Amino acid sequence: MTVKPTDTALRSQEEITARVKALEALLIEKGVMTTAAVDRLAEVYENEVGPQLGAKVVARAWTDPAFKERLLADASAACRELGVGGLQGEEMVAVENTDTVHHVIVCTLCSCYPWPVLGLPPNWYKAPPFRARIVREPRTVLAEDFDFPVPDSVEIRVWDSSSELRYWVLPQRPAGSEHLSEDELAALVTRDSMIGVGAPRPVGAAA
Amino acid sequence: MSGTSTGIRSDATELGDARRRVQKLVCDMPGADRPFSEPWELRAFAMAVAAHHEGHYEWSEFQLSLIDSIRQWEAGDGGEPWSYYLHWLEALEHTLAASGALSDSAALDDRTRQVLATPRNANHHEARREPVTVDPARS
Repeated sequence: MTVKPTDTALRSQEEITARVKALEALLIEKGVMTTAAVDRLAEVYENEVGPQLGAKVVARAWTDPAFKERLLADASAACRELGVGGLQGEEMVAVENTDTVHHVIVCTLCSCYPWPVLGLPPNWYKAPPFRARIVREPRTVLAEDFDFPVPDSVEIRVWDSSSELRYWVLPQRPAGSEHLSEDELAALVTRDSMIGVGAPRPVGAAA
Repeated sequence: MSGTSTGIRSDATELGDARRRVQKLVCDMPGADRPFSEPWELRAFAMAVAAHHEGHYEWSEFQLSLIDSIRQWEAGDGGEPWSYYLHWLEALEHTLAASGALSDSAALDDRTRQVLATPRNANHHEARREPVTVDPARS
């Protein structure tokens, strides 16, 4: 029994996306593979499709105060200056971590996520446990699930991204990084630090 | 949610293993140096590798099917624009059907229509301009 080759000459990206989703759902229901296995393989590539662009934007903000000001005023426009933009990058807002406030992003309903800056969302971001618990008990989730305890002296703000407005986090520049170049700084920025569930790499740690 | 029971993240060692396995598989593939241009491409890619890891087919079977799909396109009238991963998806469907892992193409068509009828952000169009949670400083 064979599947007929594509019977429509031109299919929209939306249709293809739906077909791939449907295929995955069927294969998982049939026990052909597990979601975890697909996720793991996708994750291997995740860090090669996106977060390095966000890292570039963050490093520029760390080194150029005028750019940082523009980024915090209009993240989508500032990203466009660096050639970063596109689908799911409309209406982005960068929220800046400080000594007294730490930000986390979530999409409480689905998986709204700033693709141009962060690439594809990791699967835990799309999964119900994170979406529900980070809103209810952010401090506990960060400490226990992400091994990322936020000091009690710091307020945590959780931002709900939607298809109209997508948040991402501008992490704090690591201590002792004054001597680093913009490229070296970008190598310290992790996807998780831009979601708010992790810290940038410490100075000296290999990317 | 990763498959581990310990938390939200997958295990770093497993990830390293997966990375090495995948690199070994892709280094001799055409288009291996091309980044993914659409999220579905990454997903289709990962599914093909996962089904192979699960023992549903030999990698060479998948590759032959991929080559076959690309050849058909090359021999065609140019009506369809080039998309490496569209061929990848077609090859994946063929190979899964041949292996018996997914022999019901009607079920796939039905499920696709179902997915299309359910918009991704159906109920999430309102910009929320305040934090949804504030956990005040405690000291």
